[in-house]
Amino acid sequence: MSGTSGVAQADRTSIEAQVLGEVAEDLREVIGEEYSLDLEITAETTFSQDLELESIEFVALADRLRERYGDPVDFVGFLAKMDVDQVINMHVGEVVQFIVDSLRAPASAGSA
Amino acid sequence: MTEVIANDVRLHVQRLTPKGGAATDAPVVVMVHGMVMDNMSSFYFALGTWLADAGCDVICYDLRGHGRSERTAAGYQLADSLADLTGLLDVLGVDRPVHVVGNSYGATMALAYGLESSDRVASLTLIEPPFLIEGLGEEMARSLSEILVAMSDEEVAGWIEDGAGRVAGRALRSARRLIGETTIATDMLATPPFSRDALAALPVPVLAVYGENSDIIGQAEGLAALVPDCTLVILAHHTHMVLREATAFLRVLLGWWLLDRDAPQPEFHPPTERRFETPEWVTQMVPPPNLARPEIAQKLST
Repeated sequence: MSGTSGVAQADRTSIEAQVLGEVAEDLREVIGEEYSLDLEITAETTFSQDLELESIEFVALADRLRERYGDPVDFVGFLAKMDVDQVINMHVGEVVQFIVDSLRAPASAGSA
Repeated sequence: MTEVIANDVRLHVQRLTPKGGAATDAPVVVMVHGMVMDNMSSFYFALGTWLADAGCDVICYDLRGHGRSERTAAGYQLADSLADLTGLLDVLGVDRPVHVVGNSYGATMALAYGLESSDRVASLTLIEPPFLIEGLGEEMARSLSEILVAMSDEEVAGWIEDGAGRVAGRALRSARRLIGETTIATDMLATPPFSRDALAALPVPVLAVYGENSDIIGQAEGLAALVPDCTLVILAHHTHMVLREATAFLRVLLGWWLLDRDAPQPEFHPPTERRFETPEWVTQMVPPPNLARPEIAQKLST
């Protein structure tokens, strides 16, 4: 978004960090602790190459994120714009950005 | 994870609705995936989220023994699968007729469900259903044996373990356990053939989709000839894997079928950049296989 003030940008950065932590927590639960214990999850981490996430595991991740964030974050609409390869080839950061954008959008605004 | 107990089995279910929830008169769509090497995720990403976003109330679930549903030791006959589906709709409180969308074995199951429980079914979409009046059990077993061939071939197994990594390795192990530790193989062989008379009286509309290059394309015309209200769509340059290959067109086709059937049927324009062909090892399989062959059993146990 252009024209964001410095204060708002700092605010966004801290929200992004928080959401990244929450997504990583759900990811570790889906993958299982045994495999994910020493795994560093950043915005640049890819679901397919880095995490080798199965598509059924992405379903489970989306399920947890839907539960965590509720109605304001429309994961169904987000995923509807992609096919399975596009979903699984995403970076963790793309999901984080989508969540942050949804959480920050005014409740009255329609989706793009 | 959303889990329900239906027909005494723990099933993994995902309900997908548009933002703000589905309208009270929205089509309820149930998606039934294929067998052994498949789970709900194929439908979830190809059609589930898209149809939900377009307004449908979508139910995706993992069949018994698949994905994140319970792997029971037995209960993989067609009748069990139908009872699981009825149990699922009951526990979810779905009291309106549903649009069942099935892929491969899931489509065969959908057709059987339409015959058995037509009062609960609004329409059927059958994507690549194995369909025979005689010898359906052997056909189902043939599909299973194709998977066995893929799993048993050392070169393929090696490639999967080394090159394709964790994902394919886990899918392979999961399929091995399903075939090796449950009655699914013998249950598939016992699949009863469809009744000509029952099909001729099927009271629900059917949308049947096949790939022109599918190994079971020969079964399409027979189905369309018997079922009274059948719209047959054959996709040029595609195989049995149409759900994966032609996702974009299937979204449009299902959107028309479920939400806008008064509009003209969408036209299919075959892909020019790539033609999909059925691999030779699939077409050269000789039915019916003897799944009890010791060498198969041995391969399964390793």
